[in-house]
Amino acid sequence: MKRKTLRRWNNAIHRDIGYLAVGLTIIYALSGIIMNHFKSGDFLHPDYSKRYEDFQVQLPETGKVDKTYVLKILEQVGEEDNYKSHVMGNGYVQIFLHTGYLYVDLTNGEAQQEIKSPRYLLKEFNLLHYNNIKKWFTWFSDVYAAALIVLAITGLFILRGKNGILHRGAWLTAAGIIIPAIIILIYA
Amino acid sequence: MIKKLLPLLFIGLMLAFACNQGPKETTEETTADSVLLAVATFNTDASAYVDQPVWIEGTAYHVCKHGGKRMFIVGDNDSVMVEITTGPDVVMFDEALVGSRVNVLGILKEERIDDKYLNEWEAEVMTPEENHEAGLHEGTKGHEDQPDEDKLEQINDLREQLKESGNDYLSFYSIEAIYFEELPTEEDTTEEPSAE
Repeated sequence: MKRKTLRRWNNAIHRDIGYLAVGLTIIYALSGIIMNHFKSGDFLHPDYSKRYEDFQVQLPETGKVDKTYVLKILEQVGEEDNYKSHVMGNGYVQIFLHTGYLYVDLTNGEAQQEIKSPRYLLKEFNLLHYNNIKKWFTWFSDVYAAALIVLAITGLFILRGKNGILHRGAWLTAAGIIIPAIIILIYA
Repeated sequence: MIKKLLPLLFIGLMLAFACNQGPKETTEETTADSVLLAVATFNTDASAYVDQPVWIEGTAYHVCKHGGKRMFIVGDNDSVMVEITTGPDVVMFDEALVGSRVNVLGILKEERIDDKYLNEWEAEVMTPEENHEAGLHEGTKGHEDQPDEDKLEQINDLREQLKESGNDYLSFYSIEAIYFEELPTEEDTTEEPSAE
């Protein structure tokens, strides 16, 4: 009787915490995939998708790089309404746009444009994953992490019988512990 | 239902209000005794203001993509770059800031690089698996995406600079942001011609 009550509580806790954790779990999982591939070099930026185009532009006729020249170059590439600012470097000018930048090599007129666009939603998910809110979100995400531990433990005791923790569940749980343990032993 | 939610809404508003009070007061206090530095003369002026609040204005040139923890600002050209780091009150810089004029208030920090630092950094680059716990030098002054060869080259350059300086250490300065604002662009500030 007592066992039955415990199991009922266990399942109820697992169910309700599970409902509460769905949102953040999906956020962290999707953001985690992005982070993984960003760290392994598949993405240039976790929050923005970026692509690059190379082309040739005219060098300044007077040899002087000013805003008039910069806007003329932007007109050439159809970005005249996208101008933000420009910074001079040694032998180049970098023109910042609202959607990237244009780098012009002033020795040969070779130019490269970066075109970036935000990964909407994923950018916001990454903000949470990086804990860039700090302050109260640190505690909030700690509570979420604790909830995941509770979910993992209560999840072990939901089922009885051949699929329970004493039979099939034991093997699968052991596999889930042994696999990361082996990875740690090899790489850590 | 709405009645049940009202107390929660009230608590939320109170918390938001409370959370917004601290930094504002700190910023006002810090603003009063801070100096204005220029990007162009930052490297020569910085040593006089270590651990003091300073204002600086420049164009955001680069924002580190690993969580936006660092931003580099420049003046009219890229000959001097000033590193702005996040702090307790400013937790990240968005990539969208790149190319914008920004006005930053922060505490000027000095980082001293000596032989010990360079030796540890070199060990970390050469054998990261043995020295990963140090983790102190990854991207400290180098760029986050630098290949190991470039880092080693940078370490050797710093060794040379250290030797030439005749000092025990090299000083690098950065600003830990307390507050920053994105300034309007030229287009935003250009007034429309009046109809008169």
